[in-house]
Amino acid sequence: MIHFLIRRLPSVLLVLVATTAIAFLLPRLAPGDPAAIAAGPEATAEQVAAIRVEMGLDRPLAEQYVHWMGGLLTGDLGQSLQFKRPVAELIGSRVESTFELTVAATILLVAVSLGLGIFAGSARSRLSRFTADASNTVLLAMPPFLFGLLLIILFGVVFRLLPISGEVAVLDDPVIGLQYLILPAVAMAVPMGGHVAMLVQSSMDNAWRQDYVDLAVAKGVPRRWITLRHVVRNSLGPAAVTIGMRFGDMLAGAVVIEMIFARNGIGQLGVSGVLSADYNLVQVIIVGTVLIAVVVQLLTEIAMAVLDPRVRLGA
Amino acid sequence: MTTTVTAPGTPAPAVPRRPGAGALRQYLTALRTPRGAFGAGLLLVLIAVALLAPLLFPGGYDDQSGDSLVGASAAHWMGTDELGRDILARTIYGLRTDLSLILAAVPVSAVIGTLMGLTGVVSRLLGAAMQRALDIILGFPGLVLGMSVVLVLGTGWLSLFVAVLISGLPGFGRLSRAGLQVEQEREYVLAAKVLGVRKRTVLVRHVLPNIMDPIVVGAAVYMVVAIFIVSGLSIVGLGIKPPVPSLGAMLNVGARYIEVHPAYVLGPGLVLLLLALAFTLLSNALNKAVLRK
Repeated sequence: MIHFLIRRLPSVLLVLVATTAIAFLLPRLAPGDPAAIAAGPEATAEQVAAIRVEMGLDRPLAEQYVHWMGGLLTGDLGQSLQFKRPVAELIGSRVESTFELTVAATILLVAVSLGLGIFAGSARSRLSRFTADASNTVLLAMPPFLFGLLLIILFGVVFRLLPISGEVAVLDDPVIGLQYLILPAVAMAVPMGGHVAMLVQSSMDNAWRQDYVDLAVAKGVPRRWITLRHVVRNSLGPAAVTIGMRFGDMLAGAVVIEMIFARNGIGQLGVSGVLSADYNLVQVIIVGTVLIAVVVQLLTEIAMAVLDPRVRLGA
Repeated sequence: MTTTVTAPGTPAPAVPRRPGAGALRQYLTALRTPRGAFGAGLLLVLIAVALLAPLLFPGGYDDQSGDSLVGASAAHWMGTDELGRDILARTIYGLRTDLSLILAAVPVSAVIGTLMGLTGVVSRLLGAAMQRALDIILGFPGLVLGMSVVLVLGTGWLSLFVAVLISGLPGFGRLSRAGLQVEQEREYVLAAKVLGVRKRTVLVRHVLPNIMDPIVVGAAVYMVVAIFIVSGLSIVGLGIKPPVPSLGAMLNVGARYIEVHPAYVLGPGLVLLLLALAFTLLSNALNKAVLRK
């Protein structure tokens, strides 16, 4: 286990350090003077110069980077140019919304992936096979935001069953909060669930051809029991890996979903930051997203290594 | 064309595939399956409609002659938007924007990504460095990468192009590197090396044609992802600048009027879904055709 971690650690660290370097360089790559942008259009030359010194832009690039990294590591995330408030405070006030959404979507994703996948994988009749294939294909082609808009039209406009914009914290009021949470979470989870379901289906098809399944059939084990004990169980690995590896995509998908459902999460904060060239804010959001995605990927690999000696030993 | 003569009775030798006609013919067998035929047909219709947009809608996408936010009618099949412009016309022109973007960016991404995956041939160090670079890009989820690009380049066509291009590199790089590693050990490559064929010739004439299949399938799959990236960035307002229509940007504005005018979302949404569906089916059929070999 330790060996596995030691082997993986350098490349993970490299990705993280490189990400911070890229995020740090973004404003310097952009055309125009970051100090002038931060100062705003009406600033005088002296004000711009003062801001340049204040932001440390007059110092060498490497020194600026080390200073910025030092801030990130000690929790000083800088000041938002657009809101004139500390970035940490802005993110802190919004993190709960995105967290709720992601957790709800992940739970739904697991349920949808397994449900659809096992249905498709154990479908026998022509009709059920076709239904499973067709729904999986449509879900593969369905962008989450479009699915969200369709849900809004169906449940918010045609049938007015659920609220379609805004939010209430689940912790403050679980019943109302969940009502606001359910549509965006479904929109995020279901299209990606189609993706994972297809994997579950193909690994189940594969498992049915294995010798141990033949043996179980020959022994006279009931079909349902074989499906559950042998086929499904051996098909969960790829699904778990995909969910873990694509967690970052889902997190990034929250950007769009929050926009559509008018939720005040990190994603919306990030978009407004990009539109108003609020570098300090967006840099932190980029680093944070990549950090979470990479950590979840690493945790997935660790889980697989614990479960599967072939991964652990680097076969 | 050279022809190989084999003595009757002896099995044909495993000849490496040559670039060109053979490969294309194999990809075309994908069209014989229902999925492939439907996907290709759908895509052709969408491309044709996008190309014919100026003929279908001589008024262009900016004709504000209608009343604003009117529902579907004989004159405006999907109704009109908040400025009285025909939504169907804007949808078709939006399709044109999105289609031209992905059809331009994905092949470029595929070519550059493939080359990055092959750099290991030049030197082992360069190959390893490229792999690390691709790993770093892979760490960025597509939309976050897009946000970073927009932060530097501002909103517009170029940013979307660059975002789609960069985001695809790791996938293509990995496919070509994996293919290279398999093919390098094959006998025909070793034979060519023994015969003293130049490294570059072996790579271009022998290895490349034989690792093309997964890359072609990968490109078809990535078309769908590219559509998601382009429309995802557009829908949050980081895409194509108005008044030029794009499907995502239309959904962005349409979502505001979703309660009074659902067709504003349904029209562009349906076209977007059909576009993604066409590429999904096509990539699926291509994959099966390639595996059938």
